[in-house]
Amino acid sequence: MRIKAFASRNIKELIRDPLSYIFCLGFPLIMLLVMSVIGQSIPENEGTAIFNVQNQSAGTAVFGLAFVMLFAALLISKDRASALLCRLFASPMRSVDFILGYTLPLIIIAAAQLAVNVISSVIIGAAVGESFNFLNLLMSLAVHIPTIFLFIGLGIIFGTLFNEKSSPGISSIIVSLAPMLGGVWMPIDAMGGVILTIAKIFPFYHAVKASRTVLAGSSEGVAASILILCAWAAVIFILSIFVFKAKMRSEKK
Amino acid sequence: MSAIKIDKITKRFGTKTAVNNLSLEINEGELFALLGVNGAGKTTLIKTLTCLLKPNDGEAYILGKSVTTQADEVKKLINLSTQETAVAPNLTVRENLMMIAGIYGMDKESAKAKTDEMINKLSFGDYENQRAKTLSGGWQRKLSIAMALITEPKVLFLDEPTLGLDVLARRELWELVRKLKGKMTIILTTHYMEEAESLSDRIGVMINSNLITVGTPDELMKKTETHSVEEAFVKIAGGGLNEN
Repeated sequence: MRIKAFASRNIKELIRDPLSYIFCLGFPLIMLLVMSVIGQSIPENEGTAIFNVQNQSAGTAVFGLAFVMLFAALLISKDRASALLCRLFASPMRSVDFILGYTLPLIIIAAAQLAVNVISSVIIGAAVGESFNFLNLLMSLAVHIPTIFLFIGLGIIFGTLFNEKSSPGISSIIVSLAPMLGGVWMPIDAMGGVILTIAKIFPFYHAVKASRTVLAGSSEGVAASILILCAWAAVIFILSIFVFKAKMRSEKK
Repeated sequence: MSAIKIDKITKRFGTKTAVNNLSLEINEGELFALLGVNGAGKTTLIKTLTCLLKPNDGEAYILGKSVTTQADEVKKLINLSTQETAVAPNLTVRENLMMIAGIYGMDKESAKAKTDEMINKLSFGDYENQRAKTLSGGWQRKLSIAMALITEPKVLFLDEPTLGLDVLARRELWELVRKLKGKMTIILTTHYMEEAESLSDRIGVMINSNLITVGTPDELMKKTETHSVEEAFVKIAGGGLNEN
C-alpha cells in the first residue's frame, strides 16, 4: 500500500509536468523524424546505414530512455529540496518503499516512451518503404529492459547525490554522451579506433548495438552485448539502492 | 504512561551541540509548547523525537517505544508537520491527503472516508481538486497540517505551524489545534508567545541547546514575576529566571 501510494504520487508528478512530454516523448520523436529524413536525403554507403529508420528506431529508443534518467534525477532532487521527503522519512516508509515508489512510475514512463517510439518508427518506416518484423520489434523491446534499469539507476544516483540545480546538469552530460558513445547518429563501428574502444567500455554502445541487431533479425554478438549491458545495469541499479540508503542514513547523523 | 519520555538526549553536529543533555516527560493528551530563539535546538529536538536524527547520547521513548531502536514502531504512532510546507505540489488537495493515508497503511475505503472527513473539517471543499502548488501559502500550510492529522497520530509534532500565516489564518489554525487538545499529545514549537500562552498546557523554554525551564503559562509568569508569557520568555532568555 505504501509503495502504491508513493508510486501513484510520483507518476502524477511526472505526467503533470509538461517537460515530461517535451523531453521524454517529443524530443526523441523529433530526432527520429529528422534523422530518418537525413537518411533519405544522403547518398547510400556503408556509413549511412545507421540513418535508416530501423537503426534510428533502436538508437532513438536508447536516447529517449536517457531522459528517463533526467526526470528521475529531477524528481528525487526536488523532493530532497522540499520538506515533503522529510515528512516521508518520518513516516513508516522504508528505503525499499522509496526505491520501488520511484522506480515503478519511471518504468511506466519508459514503457510508454518505447511504445511511442515503436509506433512512430513503424509509421515513418511505412512512409519511406521500410518495414519492421513484429517479432523482432518485440525482441528489441525486451533488449531495452536492462537499459531502462541502467538509466533509472543513474537517475536515482544523481538525484540522491546532487541538488535540484546540479542533478539535471550532470544528467545532461549522460544524455549527450549516451547517443554519441552509442553510435546513434554516427557510424562508430565504421570509425573504429580509440572511439570504438572507449564506446565498447560503456553500456550505451551495447544497448544500441543489441537492439539494432535484433531488429535486423540477427543474433550476432547480441548475447555478449546484452551480457555487458545487464552487468552495467545491475551494478548501477544496485549502487543506486546503496547510495539512496546511505543518504537516508547520513541525513540522520 | 508518559506519551514522551526524553532521557538525557544530546545531539551534536560536529563540534556544535544542538541539544544538550535534555530530559523531559510529556503526558498523554498534553499540549506542550517548546519556545526558544532561532538556533535554540527546538527543531533538532523535534527531528530527534520523530526519528529523523539519531541522538549522540541519551534515549527518548514515544509511548514506550525507543526512537533509536524501535523507529519503525515509533513512526506508526506519530506524525509531523514540518516548519516548511510539506506537500506534493502537482497533486490536488484530495490526492495529497489520499497519498498520506495510503502511506500510513489505510485501505482505499478508509483513506477516502478520512480524506472526506479532513476536507469537511478543514473547509477544503472549494479547493479539494486544486493542485497544491496553486493554493495560497496559508492554504498550503493548512493542507500540510491536514496531512499530519489524517493519520490520527497518537503524538503530533507541529514545528512552527503558523509561521508566515496572516493573523486570520493563524487564529483559524489555533482553533483547529484547540479542538485536538486532549485527543492526542501535541508538541508545538513556535515563536508566537500568544500562541503558546493560548494553546498549551505546559511550556518548555530552550536557550542555547538547553531546556532552561518547564511549567504552565501561569507558573512561568510567576517564576519570572511577569504578566505574560512573552515577558516571561524575554526574562528567561535574558537570564533573569527566578527559580525560587
